[in-house]
Amino acid sequence: MANFNLRKAEPKDVPDILRLIKELAKYEEMEDQVILTEKELLEDGFGDHPFYHCVVADVPVEHQKVEGYSVIGFAMYYFTYDPWIGKLLYLEDFYVMREYRGITRLDATIKSCFLLQTAVKNRCSSMHFIVAESNKASIDFYKRRGASDLSLQEGWRLFRIDKENLLKMSAEE
Amino acid sequence: MEEQVVLTEKELLEDGFGDHPFYHCVVAEVPKDKQSLEGKFNDNIGYTVVGFAMYYFTYDPWIGKLLYLEDFYVMKEFRGYGMGSEILKMLSETAVKTRCSGMHFIVAEWNTSSIEFYKRRGASDLSHEEGWRLYEIDKCNLLKMSSK
Repeated sequence: MANFNLRKAEPKDVPDILRLIKELAKYEEMEDQVILTEKELLEDGFGDHPFYHCVVADVPVEHQKVEGYSVIGFAMYYFTYDPWIGKLLYLEDFYVMREYRGITRLDATIKSCFLLQTAVKNRCSSMHFIVAESNKASIDFYKRRGASDLSLQEGWRLFRIDKENLLKMSAEE
Repeated sequence: MEEQVVLTEKELLEDGFGDHPFYHCVVAEVPKDKQSLEGKFNDNIGYTVVGFAMYYFTYDPWIGKLLYLEDFYVMKEFRGYGMGSEILKMLSETAVKTRCSGMHFIVAEWNTSSIEFYKRRGASDLSHEEGWRLYEIDKCNLLKMSSK
């Protein structure tokens, strides 16, 4: 099993975080939809008021499978709020470079241990996240760990009002 | 589902008005008249809070900040006067001012009147278009995972 180190992301990790975000998007054939820049990631994650948090996984030089990259995985999360129960931890994104999957148990470690500790330490009542209904592997992974499908159980659907329509509404008299 | 609300005033105060707010709220108030409903006064003499919206900021790794509308309610007696629209307009202004790429929220699929309200304002159903489903791992299962 390869050695890896799990730690809170630092400003210097921003280029790697964006690289991994783009790799994941490329995997879903949506790389051109990533318009976020390093500058925004830096301001938004490491300013006075972080809008997201990241944990990154890095490997020592001798275990690198892809030359030059020591940061090989990340998870992005933030805190949300349920008006009935209070704080929740929301897992937004999660990715491990293909070359390191399966051999490190990194995914299970990030998800179960690190995020759990963060959730409990911050007095969160549970962890929420969305999964595409077509993503059977992830659904099984989460269900094995006790996840329940709230969309199925409670009928929730995710809606969006995009910027164009927000501007329209804010300009209305 | 009133018994499922376990949140206390103390927690709401700490979580919303401490150094790091975990949520933000806008409230709608009307002038207090002689027939004001008991127990709904606030410090602002002459006004009664009759509606609110709770929101916070989330983050999309492809586009950045989003405004997430968590809860939105206007007391039944005060509906039909455009209060809901005003609240949503204010939230839109907040979203634009804070450079958010959009506003997200969830709606129960049976709540057709809310769905219509939002669709009239340009909302799209991402669960329908992109197949997203909301999942939860509750505290009990989080603890179970950690002890394995």
